[in-house]
Amino acid sequence: MDKDLRLGVFLCDCGGTLSKATDFSAIKAKLQKFSDVTYVSISHDLCLKKAQKAMQKDIKDNGINRVVVAACSPELHEKDFMNVIKAAGVNSHLLSMANIREQCFWAHPDKDKATKKAMAQIGMAINRARFLEPVEQAQISVNRDVLVIGGGITGIQAAIELSNLNLKTTLIEKEATLGGKLNQFANLYPVQVTPEELLATKLKQVAERQDIDVLTSAELVDVSGEVGNFAARIKRGNEESVRNCGAIIFATGYNTEFSSQICGFELSNNIITQSQLEGKLKASSEVKQIPESVCLITNISNEHSQVSLLSALRNALGIKEKFGGEVCVLCQNLKVDGAGLEKLYRDCRNKGVLFIKFDNSPRISEQDGKVKIEVEDVLVSGEQLTLLCNLLVVEETSVPPLDSQTLSSTLSVGLDAQGFYQEKNIHLYPTASNREGIFFAGNCHADLDLMQALTEASNVALSAYQLLAQEKMTVEAEKVMIDPDKCRFCLTCIRACPHHAIREAGVNHEKMVAQIVDLACQGCGICAAVCPAKAIKPKDWSDDQILAEFELLGEYV
Amino acid sequence: MKAQGAFLPDIVAFCCAQSAYQAADAAGSMGITYPENIRVIRVPCAGRVDVLHILRAFEKGADGVLVLGCHEEACRHLSGNIRAKNRVQRVNTLLQEVGIDGERVEMFTLAPNQGPRFARIVNEVNERIKELGPSPVKSRA
Repeated sequence: MDKDLRLGVFLCDCGGTLSKATDFSAIKAKLQKFSDVTYVSISHDLCLKKAQKAMQKDIKDNGINRVVVAACSPELHEKDFMNVIKAAGVNSHLLSMANIREQCFWAHPDKDKATKKAMAQIGMAINRARFLEPVEQAQISVNRDVLVIGGGITGIQAAIELSNLNLKTTLIEKEATLGGKLNQFANLYPVQVTPEELLATKLKQVAERQDIDVLTSAELVDVSGEVGNFAARIKRGNEESVRNCGAIIFATGYNTEFSSQICGFELSNNIITQSQLEGKLKASSEVKQIPESVCLITNISNEHSQVSLLSALRNALGIKEKFGGEVCVLCQNLKVDGAGLEKLYRDCRNKGVLFIKFDNSPRISEQDGKVKIEVEDVLVSGEQLTLLCNLLVVEETSVPPLDSQTLSSTLSVGLDAQGFYQEKNIHLYPTASNREGIFFAGNCHADLDLMQALTEASNVALSAYQLLAQEKMTVEAEKVMIDPDKCRFCLTCIRACPHHAIREAGVNHEKMVAQIVDLACQGCGICAAVCPAKAIKPKDWSDDQILAEFELLGEYV
Repeated sequence: MKAQGAFLPDIVAFCCAQSAYQAADAAGSMGITYPENIRVIRVPCAGRVDVLHILRAFEKGADGVLVLGCHEEACRHLSGNIRAKNRVQRVNTLLQEVGIDGERVEMFTLAPNQGPRFARIVNEVNERIKELGPSPVKSRA
C-alpha cells in the first residue's frame, strides 16, 4: 500500500435525483473523517464535460493520487472517468467506483437502508482505492499483414475487403484452384447469379489487387507467436515457408457427408446425395438418362440446417429447369428463416414442385430400377402415399473440414461439440476466437447461406483492421504481472489461460518462468486464481483489492 | 452485534462484470428491489474468484457468499464459470468439514439482462441464510 495516499472522493447525485433519497452533505461529512481522504466533492452531473473539467481541476489543485467516484454503474462511465483522471495527470487505473445509483438508490426504496448501503459501498471503494496500482501504456510494433486460410468465397471476399482497407493479405487454399464449394454448385438460388459468374468476378478482383498473395495447394502447418506477430509455417508440396502476419482469419468452410445411420438406408445408383446431384446438374448436357421423376428428401432427423434446406430447394428448382419432369420434396419441417428462402420456396411451388410433410421417416426400397417411397402425408390427414421415382436425392449433413481437429490443437483455438470452430461469444463476439488476433468467418464455425457468409467476411476484415489499423498497437503493459521469484514454472497458468496469452521465458539464463503476453492477455484473471504460488497479480483485480473490499463487512462506515 | 430478532445476514456476491454485475444494474434500472444487505464485488470473470477470496469473506464476517457468473457455454473466457463452479463446490466441502453449513456458499449463472433473476436469487439466498442464522465464524469473532 502506498504510504502517501491522497484520496479524492467525487460524489454525483445524478442531476439531483439521488439527493431526494439521501442527504449527500451528511455522507460528505462522514467521508471527511478518513485520514487519507483529502478531498470530497458533490457534483450533480459528473458525466458532463463541464463537471469533468472541474473534477480535473480539483484533482490537480489538491494533489489527489487516488480517485473514488460514487455515481452510476462503472459499466456506463468508467472509461470516461479513466480518461478524465488521465488528463489530470493521474494514471487511469487509479480509479475506484462505487455504484450507488443502479445498485443502491434505484434498487432500494427505503431511504435509510439505501443510505447505509451507499456508505458501505463508498467505504468498499475507498478500501479498494488504497490498493490500486498504476498500469502504463506501451507501444508495440505489429505486423500488418493478414493470413486468410481457405480460398472459398468467404476467404476470397475477406481478402478483397482487407485489400480495400490497405492490408496486405496472403490467401492460402489447399486445393489447386480457388473457389471451394462454388466450383461444385450448379446454381445459387435465391441469389440471381450463377456460381461461375460470381467466382469469375471475385477472381478478377483478386487478380487485380497487388496486395493479395494467393498460394494454392498450400496448407497451414503450424502457427507460433501472438497477435500482431504471428509466424505461420505453410507447406506447399515439399516446400515449407514461413509467413509473418498480425492476424489470421479462418475461412476453411465445411464438408458434407452422407450418414446412412441418420437416414436409415444406403446410397445406390438411384439414391444419390445432394452433391452428386449438383455434379449432374452442373454437367446436365452430359447426362444420358434424364430422370422423369425425382424426389428430394430433407430434414430427416428434424435438425434444422440452413445449408441442407437451401441445397434441397435450390436443386429442386434446378432439376425443374434443367430436366423438367416431376419433382417432389419430402421434409419433416421446412423452416424458411433466411433471407430469400420464402421466395425460393414459393418459386419452387410455382414451378410445380410438390412438398410432402412427414412425421415418421419414410420407408425406402428399390423396385425394378425405381425407388419406392412409402410415406405418411401428415397434411392430408395421415394418408399413406406410395411414390415411385427414378431418382431419390438425400440430404447430407455438414461436417467440419478434415484439418480442423489438428489446426485447433496446434493453434489452441476451441471447437464446439460438432467439431466446428467455437466463437468467443456467439452474441457479443461472433467472429472472434478465444485467441486475440485469430478470427473465424463463414461456414467453418456457423451454418450460413451465401449472403450471410459474404457479410461475415466483410465483418471479419473490419475486426482485423481494427486490430492492425496502426503500425504500433497500444497495449497496457504488465496489467497482469508474474513475479519471477515466486514462479516455480509449474505450467498451471499456461494450461489454464483461455487465450493462450502466457508463454515460457528465461530469466537471467537461470530458470524458466511463465510470462504474460500483453498483446494477447484479456485480463480475465483466471491465471491468478489458479496459481498455486500466488505469483500472478492482475493489477486491476489483485487479491489485495478484492480482499480490501470486504474488510469492512458488517460495519457501516 | 445486532439483535437476534432482526438478524440481517451479510451476504457477499462476487459478480462477473460480463453478466451478473450488469444483471444487478438491470435490476436497479428496472426498479426491482432486493435485500440491501448484499455487497456486490465486481470481478472480471467468475473464474477470478479464488477459494481464498470466499474463505476470507467468511473470516471477515460474511454469513453467505454468492458467486454469480455467466451461463454455461457463454463464458467470454471459455471456462471461467466452470472453474468458479468447481471452486464453490470445493469451498462447500471445506466449510462442511470445519462444521459450517456448506449451503452458505452457492454459485448461480445468469445473463446480463436477467435483472429479475438477480433479484430473485438474492431474495432466495437471503431467506435461506436468515433461516440458517448468523455464521458461526462471525459469532465467535
